[in-house]
Formats: sequence, structure tokens, C-alpha cells
Amino acid sequence: MESDVNNFVINIATANGTGSQSSNLIILHSMFEMGVPVSGKNLFPSNISGLPTWFIIRASEYGYQAPGDKTDIQILMNKDTWQDDIDKMEPGTVVIYNEDVKLPVERDDCIVFSMPMTKMARGIAPKFAKMMANMYYVGGLAYLLGIDIKDMEKAVHSQFKGKEKAIEMNLRAIGEGITHAEDNWENKTTFRVEKIEKNPDTYLIEGNEATALGSIYGGINMLAWYPITPSSSVAEGIIKWIPELRTAKDGGTTCAVIQAEDELAAVGMVIGAGWAGGRGMTCTSGPGISLMSEFIGLSYFAEVPGVIWDVNRVGPSTGLPTRTQQGDLSMLYEASHGDTQHIVLIPGTVNECFEFGWRAFDYAERYQTMVFGFSDLDLGMNRWSTEGFVYPDKQMDRGKVIYTQEQLDSIENYGRYRDVDGDGIPYRTLPGSGLDPILYRGTGHDEDGVYSEDPAVYQKTMMRLREKIEGSRDNLPSPVIIEEEIKEVGIIFYGSMENTIGEIDDILERTGLSVSTCRVRALPYHSNLEEFISKHDKNIVLEMNRDGQLFGILRKELPLELLSKIHSVAYSDGMPPRARLYSEKILEVLEEI
Amino acid sequence: MSILKLNVIDLDKSEYKGGKSSLCPGCGHDQISNVIIQAAWENGLPPEGIAKMSGIGCSSKTPAYFLGKSHGFNTVHGRMPSVTTGANMINKDLSFIAVSGDGDTASIGIGQFIHAIRRNLDMVYIIENNGVYGLTKGQYSATVEKGSKKKKGAINSQNPIDLCAMALNLGCSFVARSFSGSKKQLTALLRAAMSHKGMAIIDVISPCVTFANNDESYRSYNYVKENDEVLHIVDYISHFSPLEEVDIPEGQYREIELFDGSKIVLETIGSSHDTTDIVSALGAVHRAESQNKHVTGLLYYNGELPTATETLGITDTPLSKLSLEEGRPTPASLDLINQRFRDIN
Repeated sequence: MESDVNNFVINIATANGTGSQSSNLIILHSMFEMGVPVSGKNLFPSNISGLPTWFIIRASEYGYQAPGDKTDIQILMNKDTWQDDIDKMEPGTVVIYNEDVKLPVERDDCIVFSMPMTKMARGIAPKFAKMMANMYYVGGLAYLLGIDIKDMEKAVHSQFKGKEKAIEMNLRAIGEGITHAEDNWENKTTFRVEKIEKNPDTYLIEGNEATALGSIYGGINMLAWYPITPSSSVAEGIIKWIPELRTAKDGGTTCAVIQAEDELAAVGMVIGAGWAGGRGMTCTSGPGISLMSEFIGLSYFAEVPGVIWDVNRVGPSTGLPTRTQQGDLSMLYEASHGDTQHIVLIPGTVNECFEFGWRAFDYAERYQTMVFGFSDLDLGMNRWSTEGFVYPDKQMDRGKVIYTQEQLDSIENYGRYRDVDGDGIPYRTLPGSGLDPILYRGTGHDEDGVYSEDPAVYQKTMMRLREKIEGSRDNLPSPVIIEEEIKEVGIIFYGSMENTIGEIDDILERTGLSVSTCRVRALPYHSNLEEFISKHDKNIVLEMNRDGQLFGILRKELPLELLSKIHSVAYSDGMPPRARLYSEKILEVLEEI
Repeated sequence: MSILKLNVIDLDKSEYKGGKSSLCPGCGHDQISNVIIQAAWENGLPPEGIAKMSGIGCSSKTPAYFLGKSHGFNTVHGRMPSVTTGANMINKDLSFIAVSGDGDTASIGIGQFIHAIRRNLDMVYIIENNGVYGLTKGQYSATVEKGSKKKKGAINSQNPIDLCAMALNLGCSFVARSFSGSKKQLTALLRAAMSHKGMAIIDVISPCVTFANNDESYRSYNYVKENDEVLHIVDYISHFSPLEEVDIPEGQYREIELFDGSKIVLETIGSSHDTTDIVSALGAVHRAESQNKHVTGLLYYNGELPTATETLGITDTPLSKLSLEEGRPTPASLDLINQRFRDIN
């Protein structure tokens, strides 16, 4: 039996735009401050205010970060989802509700507490009573769970940085909430938080801010972006940090930021920047990638570097704009018409968001092509723990750029698109250099960059492009492999599934299976992956989409003899993965094999 | 005996030429290419400092036919402005000379055209405006006049988009219209545009000899020649050789000093046109349009607008020339950031 200390799931049901995010983050941060392994997920609607929002906080002594398969403590604040939230509760759930919603909670099988939250809030801030009411469930929770008030104070200060009046009022509300609970509630619950020695290096940060910082340390020179959920906070992160980190001696900036008129223009600017010898980037989500696709083909064919971050939301079409998925992978890998293939970097942690943030530019310039960073809403917009970002371990790689006449003269038979080194990567000169100028084009071109419709020339160019990207495989981030001695089941997965895989692994191993895991971190996939597959009896390709997109890519590219060893488990409902649900799906497939 | 004539940076005109044109013989676009060569040479622009930009279409093929010693980018349909924007951010010292068509600019890329103007991107934007889609065999474009008829097909029944009027409404800093058959006027306007800092738009009516050079077309050579309402005679005086072409016109004239110290001289014919007045410029455009005429000359000029890179406060060194150290913040700065996050958590 699992202990109830530092192991529980809180579900907070509120309405969007009522300020509950501050309350929820204060709970999250104060538990984090106590050293409790904790994670928070914001399940929000595509709406500015009024629609239902749930915030899920999970404490787990095992470090599980998935939202959990059941709710232990339910906070009820939203009249619109009231009955629905109540109906979903399992017997024994602890409930805290706002009396002022004036709706009943008829569940004798649950442990129910209440407080007149709005009325009490009116006493502190009559105008903001609706928002302030959210601080009272913070107080109630602090009482029930035993959250250290000192740690909570620190979290409030962090949330309202320097706004003394807000800090004072919110602390008062929390205090009143605690007092009310002490006076009126009989605490017969078993869920508690207990202080653990906290690693002083750790802090919580959103994946998107990590990506933003990584890009800045990668030497980004131009960000062109068009707002879209859930990627906007990558751009906002860059905008926030460049004055401090990227101001030149003359006071000017070394990173231009343009809010473009649309995604078509944003990616056009990235290509213009790459062509001119700079490091250009955009960030977007699925609908943006669809719009950018024509330009992505130009980048591939004319061999112009650029970086696009895709923070995946649920497609197709506008889909579920505020929910998470791994549904863009196959589109990224082969974006644009004709034969194309693109490098895709897939972080699974905030540290990798940072690392791939800077590495993406090196790969783009090394391979003279568009490089994708592939994150998702869950990783990008939720806060995750890190021990701190690690400074790049190598200098920027600007790739094969010719800067001087001497360099140019030293290359025998130079041509912009001639493969002189035998690795498929040609040399390039930059506009403004006067060195062997050509007219770049998306039309057919020969090795000197001159227009050509010659069948042999076209075919040779396309084969070289394939060889060039093919050559990147083993230079890209290699898979993270955790192998068991008995090579029974191998799980191949990627991206934010990293935050659930440990729990899935534990659930599966409890059934007696021996489970190894392999997290793919880039496409085209590293050769280590084939070795992993060949070693394991049965391999499951686990992903958050309907069709098994990585599975499809593997089926196309793996050697024939390995195909019978891979099996797809793909499931997507917009929610971050719940470990039990995905484990059951894996077990079903394993049974069928 | 021919004497090699050199420009102010000691280059022969051949240094500004490009490859052989594959457009239809007699195409107005080829005449514009020749004017680009002439203007760049006369202005003494170093070829390596120029970037030739274009979209897709007959017009956008022409960068292959001029300035062979300059880098260029033949991008995608209608989206040359965004690529130019990105390149301008990275190397603001380049002189961007862009050609685009009316399909590019008035239809698929109209959004990018508008937003490049809003940003006052530092570039010369030449529209080679023939009223038809040539490469796809002569469909009407959105700039063709209502009532005009191309060689094959029905009379155009939709209202045209006037790109100069649009640019004026958006506050573009340099707006001109010309005709590919008016070599002298076009050369002077283009030389002035090259001396301007900011967005310079020249809408050049350039008849399509294959699909719309018939008598019923308002875009045929003969029609444009007979219905060209010239605002003023334009002369250009370069800053490096102020005596070279001085031919102070008699009567009324207006002199405008451009960013690089060169001057444009506008000699009034008929009623005087005020190039600092957007309303008067719009009036001239619309008056001509109502009579199915084409007004040509410098419609509007404003040398005071900050450019996109100035507005964004980009450092003086072109970003393409930053050292590796200037591009990446220090290890100490990252330690500080990590520490700050730890302190608030």
C-alpha cells in the first residue's frame, strides 16, 4: 500500500480568467520548496475568461510527474463543471468547496470540507473578491496537508515579485483560510506533505522559457514569430531575456525581434536571415507549420539554414488548441512538397529544451538546412524541475562558410552546390562578400547554382541532399537507453512522454515483465536504435497520437528483418499521458503479439 | 575608337550586367533590367554590396539578367518581402534591389508588401506591372484596369488594386510610378530610389508583348505612351559628382536632397505637384485613373522615417559580422540566471 505522505493528486476546478493560476502556482511552489517531488499541469481552455480550467498537482515520492490516474483531493470552485467534477470522484476523495457557489455536494462517501470563500474574500478586497476567493482554498489545503507556512510565504513572494500590496493581501487571505479550517474542519484526512531535504540547486521552469534561453545561448540573431498557443511563450521568453543577454557595446541589440504578419512571413524572414549569414528562428505550432511548408522546401532545396520550434498542440486543423499531443512528428520530418527530409530535435526535459535550443543552430548551419525543435504543450507550458542549465560545451559551429578569397581559392572546382568533401555538404559564400555570387533559387539548379532542368542534374542533386541529411544521423543527439539484463520488452518513446515513462515502467514491471526503455531524441534516428530493437524480443513504439507516427517512420526506414520486432501503441485524447492508461494499452498489445 | 567608360568606383558597365534574358523578345521587363544596370553603374554601387531579391513570375526571373556580380535570391511566390526582411535584419549594410510582379505584389504577396511598407524596410521595391500572369499564359492580375481587355478572353470587370495608392495610404517613404518605355524618367527615379534610406517603391508599367499588347488593352505600349500623364521631368544629381548632369531646368523646379547627399530635381510641367503631400499624391493617382490614364513621376517622398533596423535598435555592426563571442552570452551570465531562478524558487 502506497503511503499518503507526499503521494497524492490534487485537482483544482476553476473558471478561466479568475486568477486561480496564482493560487495554484503558490501551492505548487510551496510544496516544491519543502523538497516534495511535485509537478503541476494546467488544463486550460481556448478562451480568455469563463470556460472551465483544471489544475492538477501531483506529489510523488517516486518522482512521478504524470497527472495520475485518480484524484485524491478535489477543489470545487466552478459552478459550470460542479456536478460533473463530483460525479467523477472516487469514494474517499477529499473535497474542498466554495460555499458561495451555492451548490450542494451530495457525496456521503467522500470527506467534504467547505468555506464561504467569496464572502470572506470580500472582507479583504471587495472589488477582487472573485479572484481573492481562490486564496482561501490555498489556506484550506495548507491546513489539511500541513504545508509549512514559511515555505508558503516564500512562494507568495515569488509569485507577486515585489508587489507589496498584493503580497500582503494574499497572505492575509491564506491566513484567514487556515484559521477558518482550523476552527471549523475536523482533519480526518490522511494526505500529508512532509519536508524532505531539498536539493538547493533545483528550481521549476517552463519548457518554453528553457527553449528561449537555449536559443539565446545559441546565438540567435533574429526571431520572427506569429502568436500561436502554445508556442508564444518561447518568443516572449526571448523578448524578456535579450535586453540583458544580447545588448552590444553600442547599446544596440544583437538579436532582432519581429512579430510577423503571419507564419508565411515569419519563416520567410528566417530563411532571409540564414541566407544573409545569420541565425534566424521562429516558433510556432502545427497550424503554423502547415503554412510554412512551402518555404521549408525552399530551405531544403536551396540549402539555407534556419530553425523552427514546433510546440505541438492537438490537431488536425485548429483542433484542441490548449491540449497536448505528439501529432506533428511525421509532418515535420517530411514537410513540403516533393521529396524532403528534415532534422528534428526532440527534447524530453527542460534541460534538453535549453540544450537543443542552442544546438539547433549548429546543426542548421552545419547541414545548411531547416532544423526543427519539437516540443509540446505539456513540456512547453508546464513547470518542470531542473538542477540548472548547462553552458554549451563547444563553440558555435558556423558550418562550411567561405569568408575570404584565399579560402575560396583553396577549394578546387568550387561550386555552391558541388560536393567537394564527399559528405554531401557543399560550401557557401555570403551576400555582401562578393565571393562567387549566385542567384539562389527554389528552381532546379546545377552544381554552380545555375538554373537547370537537366534530368541527370536534378536526380544527382536530390541524391546528394539525401546523403547529406543521412549523414547527420549519428551526429544528432543519441537515444537515451535504459536496459534491463533480460531483454524482454523494449519501449521506444520520445519527447514529453519522458515525464511518464518511469511510472509506466514500474507498472509494467510489477506484472513481471522486464522492460527496457529507449528515448529517441532526434530524427533521422540514430543507429543505436536499431541495435536496441534487435536486442529486445518485443519493442513497443509508444506515442501520443492516433496513427503511430514514429512507428510509421521506423517501418519505412528500419531494415526489413527488424520490422516484425516493432509494435505500435499510439493513443491521444489531448491529455498529458496517464501512466495506468498507457500501461494497459501496452499490455493489450503485448498480449496480442 | 571606343574608350572604356568607368564609373565613380572605376568599374566598367559590363561589371553590372547579368545573363542572357529568356523573356519574350521586346518584353518591357528587359528594358527595366537595362535601367537597373544603368542606374547601379551610374550610382557607383559596389556590386558585392547589392542583394537582388525577387519572388516568382516573369519579373522575378530577371535578377538572373542583371548584376551578375551580386548575390541574389529568387524566393517563393509573393514572399520576397519577408526574405528581404530577414536578410536586412542580418546585414543592414546590403543595398536591397528587389523586383516583383503584379501577381506577386497585388495578390499572393499583398500582405507581405503591406507589412514591409509598414516597417519601412530599407529596400528598393520595383513592381514590373503588366496586368497579366505571363508564365501561366496570360490570366488577368489584380492591377489591371476595369474595362481593359487582353489579347484573348473577356474584358476585365473587376476594380483594380492601385499599388501606389496603397503604398501612399500606408505612409511609404518613397512612392513613384513610371513606364518601362520611359528610360530617362525611370533611370532618374531608380537612381533616386537607390539613394533613399527606407522603402522606395517604383511601380513600373511594363506592357506584356505576348498577352496584352493589343489595342483594347490599357497596358499596351501605344496606349501607355499616349496616356502617360507625366507629373514632372525628373533629373538626378549624384552626391559624388554634383556637376556631372547639372542642367538646371528653366521655370519652376523642386530639389530634394536624398539620404546619401544626392539630389533629385523635379521640373514642373503643367500644374505643380507637391511630393510632401500624401493627399495631393493620392489625388493625382485617382484623377488619372478616372480618365484611364497613368500618372508617372515621384508621387511622394519622406526622408525622415526611421527604417526597420533603426526602429528595432539593431547594433551598428551587421549581425552577420559578429564574432562568436558577441553572439553567445558568457558562462557567468548563465550561472547568474540559474542562481536567480533558484533564489525565487
